[in-house]
Amino acid sequence: MLTSEHSIVEYRNGRAFPDRLLRRDHQQYLQHAEHMLMTYRRGAGKTRRQLHRQIEIILMKEPNCPRRRIESFCKLLDEKGIFEKDPQSRSARLRMQIFSAAADFHPLVKQPDQLFEHQEHQVKNNIARKLGRPWDEIESRLYADVISFQRLQKFPGFPDAEALLSRYNVAQLQACLYRAEKMTVKAKGDFKTILRYAKLSGLLHQIERTGPLRYVMEFTGPASVLRQTRRYGVSFARFLPALLACKGWQMSAVVQTPWKTKAELILSDQDQFTSHLPPPEEFDSKLEDNFAQRFGPARDRWQLIREGVICHEGQKVFVPDFVFRHQDGAEVLLEIVGFWTPEYLAYKKQSLQQFRRRNILIAVPQRSLRTAAIIKDNVLVYKTSLKIKDVLEALEKFRAPEG
Amino acid sequence: MNANGSERPVALSFDQGTLLLQGNINNLTLADGERQIWRWDHRVNAWRCSAYHYDRVRKWLRRKLGSNFIDRVPRPENLDWAGVDLPPLRPEQVEALAAWMKAGRRGQVIMPTGTGKTEVALAAMDREKVATLVVAPVRDLMYQWHRRILHTFGYNAGIVGDGLHNLKPITATTYDSAYIHMDKMGDRFGLLIFDEEHHLPGRCRREAALLSTAVYRLGLTATPQRSDGLHEDLDELVGPVAYRMPFDRAKGSTLADFDVIRIPVQLNEHEQKTYDECSNLVRQFIINKRKEQPGYTWKHLCNESGDDPRARQALKAYYLKASIEDRAAEKLRVLEDIFRLHKGEPVLVFTGSNMMAIDISRRFLAPTILSHTRKKERLAVLDGFARSQFSVLVANRVLDEGVDVPRTKVAVVIGGQASTRQAQQRLGRILRKSGNTRGVLYEVVCQNTKEVIRSRKRRKSDAYQRTFHRRI
Repeated sequence: MLTSEHSIVEYRNGRAFPDRLLRRDHQQYLQHAEHMLMTYRRGAGKTRRQLHRQIEIILMKEPNCPRRRIESFCKLLDEKGIFEKDPQSRSARLRMQIFSAAADFHPLVKQPDQLFEHQEHQVKNNIARKLGRPWDEIESRLYADVISFQRLQKFPGFPDAEALLSRYNVAQLQACLYRAEKMTVKAKGDFKTILRYAKLSGLLHQIERTGPLRYVMEFTGPASVLRQTRRYGVSFARFLPALLACKGWQMSAVVQTPWKTKAELILSDQDQFTSHLPPPEEFDSKLEDNFAQRFGPARDRWQLIREGVICHEGQKVFVPDFVFRHQDGAEVLLEIVGFWTPEYLAYKKQSLQQFRRRNILIAVPQRSLRTAAIIKDNVLVYKTSLKIKDVLEALEKFRAPEG
Repeated sequence: MNANGSERPVALSFDQGTLLLQGNINNLTLADGERQIWRWDHRVNAWRCSAYHYDRVRKWLRRKLGSNFIDRVPRPENLDWAGVDLPPLRPEQVEALAAWMKAGRRGQVIMPTGTGKTEVALAAMDREKVATLVVAPVRDLMYQWHRRILHTFGYNAGIVGDGLHNLKPITATTYDSAYIHMDKMGDRFGLLIFDEEHHLPGRCRREAALLSTAVYRLGLTATPQRSDGLHEDLDELVGPVAYRMPFDRAKGSTLADFDVIRIPVQLNEHEQKTYDECSNLVRQFIINKRKEQPGYTWKHLCNESGDDPRARQALKAYYLKASIEDRAAEKLRVLEDIFRLHKGEPVLVFTGSNMMAIDISRRFLAPTILSHTRKKERLAVLDGFARSQFSVLVANRVLDEGVDVPRTKVAVVIGGQASTRQAQQRLGRILRKSGNTRGVLYEVVCQNTKEVIRSRKRRKSDAYQRTFHRRI
């Protein structure tokens, strides 16, 4: 990630526009990105300082390229490079060795006279001879551990110019969020992923249902109710890639401008930023996918909706895998437990206690029963795959509890 | 106010740098002046306030409810020192400690550099024997506190910062790390010590004070003033000033007299040419701009440098000028003269940049302390300098504040921006009394550039009142 010192934001009419390089307006940057990648790919053995200088030269003639953009590219490229480390503090040891050897000859003067006979060149040459290495080499190793003198070893890097530019655009968005106090997400789906990652980033949520399959989630941190603080800016920035991987959302964040006023950063899934995370479907379990396909959109007057509801109580949240809605209005939530551990199962049961007022059906694989103990009405046991007939039967029980 | 909580007892707990008040709060009227610090947090159905109000909240709840509330904020651990090795305090140190105790163990102690603020803090730790967090501005100082605590109490304190996270009842950290981690460790300490406390009131760094429940707080500095005026907030974050020792009192007693010698250097022909070209470029750019936009300032230039390549060029020229000043070749020659003059004496050299420090080190083969120098090397270098193994120590500004450097009478400041506060603290380094000899501070600045103006400005501060000027 970049730091605040790399952030380029334009504030206009109360809105924040982080720097973004678009194919339409910045066609030439694809070529620049090629050159930059080439510089790093061929840059093994060069110091950070030399590499940065070359990046600077690539972008020098570019008329509207701020210094911070150049520095951002250097940072992002550096992050993907593997630089020579000095874990055994070889440079530090070399320094101690050289400085100790030279200490007796202090001060090293340019022109020796009667009082001061230790000439700089002579002393240095003598030390070099003793060490059996040329002085130039010693001097170049002397501060090789200083970050800007570290040498590039390998550059696994970005696959192509496009990828570097995408990363740049997302990184600038993230850097803008360092200034954020609050983030509001309007979502039509992928609730599970959004809430899971917000929680992983240490954010508190406030959820409001605004319609069928429509939720507004406001994210802040604990101290946000007490004072305007940018302390959670990093959390927003960390959360962003997960949001970018989702579909059907709009986001607005309140950011502090350098002039201590407020501006809004507005984004949506239509803005076509590319996240480095895979889209949520890919990390959902196959089991759910398989079931949804077999069931179809509706069956026996039960409509099936994936991740259609958010159950929330304070900071406890539960987004069931499926919602079944009957034509007569009955609603049943289905959570499929596929991968499990005893701890996970116990945790799941306990957290579901919070939402006992709702109709929740849990599908548990048979092999977990030994530890899962009692089978209640709302637990459905399955062997290798969840049978549609069994599910429909269980659903019907919820529909007419009196009968 | 909260129907769900009507049967639960009132409970106070620490939550990520804040206090949460939950339970049956109906019979508690928050209206009596305490209300203003609390906010209702509907996200968690509880009242919330900043952790630093803990003492006040606890007293208020006790007054209202007696023992009918649960205080879930952990009690900071009490400690017993195996032995204490602390020299007897000097009278002004005793005064400072007494004043702080009298102020309710909450407040600021303002003493000039070199008058033993650290001893006052260690004496306070010795008395309180409670879990303590020491917050220092930079890593060097953090390690120095670690060493002082080890030496004084035989206690191997924890370190949070410099890539380490070893939290112990006594821990040293930096302001930056405290900002990041205080929400997780803010309920662990009974005493907070803010070294060089003028760093604390910054927009972010102040959270180190806000997110902690510690009741006792001690702020130490020689120079509380900040140009942004935020030092007034220290009264709230740490406590009001408990003790202030005037500078002149320190000068007569514990600090040595000193001379300041300014040595102007000339840029060489090549440097001067580039410097003048850069100056012209910047000047011309501003003049042209002002024709269209009379109020055009430096700030505008910085803002525009993104869109306007000419502005970018001007900005670049400005940086190049600063770099020419900083690394002027003549400075190395002057340095050689100073080293000749003080052969056999330890000389401390402060530079304005890492690059200049490295230039000097490569030229004279002298050890350096840079901002990223690791602990082991730093110790070896300081030790070698103290034992006179090395005659010269070159430091980038990391040694500016409070770091214990072995006693030295000769220091050189080469380039670097300086304000009154930094000047005072720099002086503090060489002011340490050594016999009856006076300290010498050389300032090596470029002639006819703004470094000279900065140097003049610096001399106006009272620390520089006895400045000598001479050319060598």
